[in-house]
Amino acid sequence: MIISWFFLGLISLSIALYLVQLLALRKKLNEKFETEFTPPISIIKPLKGLDDNLFDNIESFCKQDYPQYEVILSLEDYNDPAYRIVRKIKDKYPDKVTIIIDNSDNSLNPKVRNMIGAYKASKYEYFLISDSNVSVDSDYLKRTVKMISSSEVGLVTNMIAGVGERSIGALFENLHLNSFILLSTCFLDTFLKIPCSIGKSMLMRKKDFEAIGGFSSIRDILAEDYFIGSLMHRMGKRVLLSNYIVKNFNEYWSMKRFLNRHTRWAKIRWKISGAKYFTEPLCNPVYLSFAHIIVSGFSQNAMVIFLGISFIKILGDLLVGKGLQLKPSLKYVPNPAITSI
Amino acid sequence: MLLCDFHIHTRYSDGSLNLRKVIDIFGQAGFDVIAITDHVVNGDNFIGKLAHRFKFTVTDKNFKEYVENINFESKRAWNKYGMLVITGVEISKNYLSSDKSAHILIVDIKEFIPACENLETIFLEAKKQKALVIACHPHNITGEIINTLYLWKNRQKYARYIDAWEIANRDDVFNVVSLKKYPYIASSDFHKPRHLYSWKTLLNCEKNIESVKHCIKNNRGVAITLFRG
Repeated sequence: MIISWFFLGLISLSIALYLVQLLALRKKLNEKFETEFTPPISIIKPLKGLDDNLFDNIESFCKQDYPQYEVILSLEDYNDPAYRIVRKIKDKYPDKVTIIIDNSDNSLNPKVRNMIGAYKASKYEYFLISDSNVSVDSDYLKRTVKMISSSEVGLVTNMIAGVGERSIGALFENLHLNSFILLSTCFLDTFLKIPCSIGKSMLMRKKDFEAIGGFSSIRDILAEDYFIGSLMHRMGKRVLLSNYIVKNFNEYWSMKRFLNRHTRWAKIRWKISGAKYFTEPLCNPVYLSFAHIIVSGFSQNAMVIFLGISFIKILGDLLVGKGLQLKPSLKYVPNPAITSI
Repeated sequence: MLLCDFHIHTRYSDGSLNLRKVIDIFGQAGFDVIAITDHVVNGDNFIGKLAHRFKFTVTDKNFKEYVENINFESKRAWNKYGMLVITGVEISKNYLSSDKSAHILIVDIKEFIPACENLETIFLEAKKQKALVIACHPHNITGEIINTLYLWKNRQKYARYIDAWEIANRDDVFNVVSLKKYPYIASSDFHKPRHLYSWKTLLNCEKNIESVKHCIKNNRGVAITLFRG
């Protein structure tokens, strides 16, 4: 009985936390940042292997409505399957794109190892690290860069949302991104003012980056994005989360890939957060209400609570989806002349 | 070298994805040349009639639409990805016996060729259309109950009509076929997204239909590669 009440208390806390997260997202989406600031930008894209939608993802960065910027595509190997795509993009946008093939560094973090050559080749003081599996609209740079106009700001990252799912693994990944990662980062940033840095899009000044030690400070660790954010914060610089939503394309993931990725992520979070890691289930009342069913010996009341909580969570997640207004990824547009396909 | 796949199915037969999505998957992965080759199944026996019943085949009735749609997508693929898309079909003569069954890719087909014709007629019609004739999965495929061995078992008779043989199909390599000195290619027999990662052909030639056909027929500058993401 006491355990059951304990779980009911946790479930109530979790529901309250979930509602606060929804509020945080709403607040974040309504944020306005009225300033004009358009310094030249070097976009660094480390690539390895084929991601879903890779061609469009890279191309979206070449179609920015922004005065002056360069896109540096870096690989470690000419035999990487992404190289063929990189070549085609370079042929299409020869003035904007630079390709760097460099495997001379021996950092343990493969993403950092891949970026070092591109960073050295980058021309501008402001640089943006962007993952290969994200896609953006043409106003992304303008809206993101203006947030770093103040010298107090050391790092600007973006919210991410998973789109394009066409398999069960991809659906789970996108649900995780949209109903857990997105809400948690908004909550931490908006209400707790804890710096959240998301590796899929990180804008910095070289001066600040060098001041925290540059790549040598993160070359042999995983979760380099988290550490960059932490180091900036410790140096007294602000880490801002832009409300521009970067689309993370996940189309054809297997369940195995989804589980492997999250096992790895969970281990990293456990290492970073320690005991705080075990508070994560509080972010999802469905887990707790399910655990309540088990501890209450499958009582009817617990099942009713579970169904009610699940309904609220689904409703909340639907609202999040509506609020994000994500466009469908690859909508099929048939040949207008032919209708019977 | 051009990264190519000449054996791809869409929802026009038994593929799981529509034509546009298939083209986008290959374009997004950086391919240079692909051929869409949906099944044209013989309707003269029970297996064939089932394929027709469930619309797992291109027919003479929808062939024109099939070609037009591929041409439309081909222009889009060229403009967006710089990828050449060629119209083809897989003539599928299916029987209960592996020894009687045969599948043939006709690449760069212009007019419909019925699968119930005899093989010589099909080959001659393909030649008349200046299409490329490829014997596909001519040997035993892992996990298949019915294979398509007819062409390989009767190669003395038919090899002169065949421009190339598949020596690798999806995850299978047909060592027996590759040891003969016939022109060869490798392809995915793409039906589902995961089939993208499979054996492919590399060609050292210009990116246009005539050069591609010439390169395969002459078997110069051809290699196969196991494509992994």
